[in-house]
Amino acid sequence: MNSKQRIRAAIDHQQPDKLPMDFGSSFITGIHCSVVEQLRAHYKLEKRPVKVCEPYQMLGEVEEDLLEAMGLDVQPIFPQRTIFGFPNENCKPWMTPWGQEVLVSEHFKTIQDNTGNVYIYPQGDMEAPASGHMPKKGYFFDTIERIDPNFDEDDLDLEDNLEEFGPMSQEEESYWTEQAGKWRDSERAISVHLNGTCLGDIALVPAPFLKNPKGVRGIADWYMLSADEPEFLQKLFDRQAEIALQNMEKLYKIAGNLIDVVVVCGTDFGTQNSLFCSVPNMRDIWLPRYKRINDWIHQNTNWRTFKHSCGAVEPLIETFIDCGFDILNPVQCSADGMAPEGLKAKYGDRICFWGGGVNTQQTLPFGTPEQVRAEVLSRCETFAPGGGFVFNAIHNVQALTPIENFIAMIEAVHSYNGDK
Amino acid sequence: MNESLQNLANAIKAGKRKDARAATEEALAAELSPQLILDALTEGMNDVGKRFKANEIFVPEVLVAARAMQKSMDLLEPVLVASGIQPKHSIVIGTVEGDLHDIGKNLVMMMLKGANFKVIDLGTNVDAEAFAAAVAEHKPDVVALSALLTTTMPSMESIVQHLNESGTPIKIMVGGAPITQDFATQIGAHGYSPDAASAVDLAHQLCA
Repeated sequence: MNSKQRIRAAIDHQQPDKLPMDFGSSFITGIHCSVVEQLRAHYKLEKRPVKVCEPYQMLGEVEEDLLEAMGLDVQPIFPQRTIFGFPNENCKPWMTPWGQEVLVSEHFKTIQDNTGNVYIYPQGDMEAPASGHMPKKGYFFDTIERIDPNFDEDDLDLEDNLEEFGPMSQEEESYWTEQAGKWRDSERAISVHLNGTCLGDIALVPAPFLKNPKGVRGIADWYMLSADEPEFLQKLFDRQAEIALQNMEKLYKIAGNLIDVVVVCGTDFGTQNSLFCSVPNMRDIWLPRYKRINDWIHQNTNWRTFKHSCGAVEPLIETFIDCGFDILNPVQCSADGMAPEGLKAKYGDRICFWGGGVNTQQTLPFGTPEQVRAEVLSRCETFAPGGGFVFNAIHNVQALTPIENFIAMIEAVHSYNGDK
Repeated sequence: MNESLQNLANAIKAGKRKDARAATEEALAAELSPQLILDALTEGMNDVGKRFKANEIFVPEVLVAARAMQKSMDLLEPVLVASGIQPKHSIVIGTVEGDLHDIGKNLVMMMLKGANFKVIDLGTNVDAEAFAAAVAEHKPDVVALSALLTTTMPSMESIVQHLNESGTPIKIMVGGAPITQDFATQIGAHGYSPDAASAVDLAHQLCA
C-alpha cells in the first residue's frame, strides 16, 4: 500500500498494511514551528528556517524531506489565505520573541510594544485595528475581540456575521488549480481545510481576518447564542452551508478526487470534563447543517469528512456519526468519558479516530520518553486493529515539548508497525 | 419568599436578563431589604452552579445566568454599598503570564460573584509581581490562578512560588484545562478545582 491507500483503508475501517501516521496535515494536527526546527536538526535535514504555515498557532510546515524522514502519510494543501486574512506567499524572515528565525508571509505585519507584546494585523493592513496578540512570553497568537461600538445584543443582524462567507474568488480558483496540478501524482493522502464550513469555530468568531468585524464577535457573547438565540445560529449556519455547498462544487470541479480528506469543522463541543452545549441543542442547531454538508460530499465526491472537537465529547459521538462525519479528531482520551477502550468498542467501526495517540497536556510535554513510548504503544494496540485509526497526537504538538519525547512517540509507532 | 424575589431567583436560573432587571427594580421599588434581594440572587446562582456541576446545564447557560445576575447587580450594588453590606470574603483572580485565555477564569469569577465573594479581576497575562502587588493592595483571602496552556504551566508554578515566598500568608487556588490536583500539589498551591462551580466550594473551604 502507498500512503494514500493506507489512509483510505484506515478511514474506511479496513485493516491497512500498517498504521498510518499524520503530523502537519492540518491546523489541528500540526507541530509548533520551534519543534519542527528541532526535528529537522534531529533528522539531519538541510538547515534552513522553518516556514510558518499557520501564523495564529505558529505551526511549522512539515516539508517533504521531514514527512519522508518521519514516515508520514498525509500531504496538506493549505488554504490560500491565513486566519489573519492574507495570502501565505513571498516569505520573509521573522525573528520570533523566543529567538527563532522563521519564514512568514510578506503580508505578516506586526509591531512589538515596549513590554514585549506582539500585535498582528488583519490582511496585513496596519491601518486596521490589530486582530492578534502574542504576549511577551507566549508562543503563538490569540485573537483580539474587536467589538463594533454599534453592536446591540437586542438587535442582531444576520448579515453582520456573514461578511466573511462568500463565493470562491478568482484568486482562490487559480490557487486551487495550481495546487491540484502540483499534487496530482501524490502518493500521500491529500488533506484540505474546507472554506466556510466551520459552524461557529470559536477561533474564527472574532474574525481575525476582517479589518472591522461587525455582529457577534465576543467569545462569551457567541457562546450565549446557543442558550439564548438558537434560531439566529440556525439561520446563520443555513446560510453558511448554502454558500459552502457552492464552493465545494467549485473545488470538486478543480481538484476532483485528488483530495482524500476534507477538514469540515473545528468547532469544539467539549471542555475537559463536560460539553459546551447539550446534546439536544447540538442536534437542533448543528446536526442538520453538518448533515447537509456531509451528505453533499458523500453523494458527489470520494472525499472523507473530518470533524475536530476537543474535550469530553463522548455523549456527542453518536450525533457526530448521525451528522455523517467519517473522522473524529483529536480524540482527547484524557477528558471525562473518553477512555480509549470504550471509544473503540462503542464507535470504532463507525467513525475513524484521527488522533488520540498521546496526551499533549501531560505525557508528551512533561513525561519521560519511556512514558511516552508506553502510552503510544498502548493507544496503538487499542485503536489500530481493524483500521479506523490514523495516528496523531491529541491536537497540535506545542512549543516546549522535549524533542526526545517527540522522537520516542514516532519511534514507538514505527516499532508498533514492525519498522526499524 | 416575596413574589418579586422569587421572580428574581427564577430569572437568574433561566438566564433571563430582562426579567432579572425587572424583578430587581420591583424589589427595590417595594423597598425590600437589599440583603434579601442579594440572597435571591445568590440562590439563583447557587442553583445554576449545582446544575452545571451535575452536567445538566453547560457553559452557555451559565453565561446567560451570570449576565442576568450582572443586570440585577448593576441596580443592586449602589444600594448594597449605601447599606454597608459587603461581601465577607475577597479573591484576587487572573490568568497567568503568557496566557491570554479568559473564558474559564471569567466563569469562575461569575460563579464567585454569584456566591457573594468580592472578586478583584487582574485580567489575563498577569505576572508574579502584579499578583503580589494586588495581594498587598487588596489583602484578599484567596488568590486564584488560571492557565489554559501547557506552555504557561511553568509560569503558574513561578507565580505560586513567588506568592508563597513573599512572606504574606495567602491561600492559592489553581485551575485550567491542563491543570491537575497532582500539579497543584507539586507547585505548592493550596487547592485545585476542575470546574467553575467546584471553584466556589473550594474558595469557601480556603476561606474557612
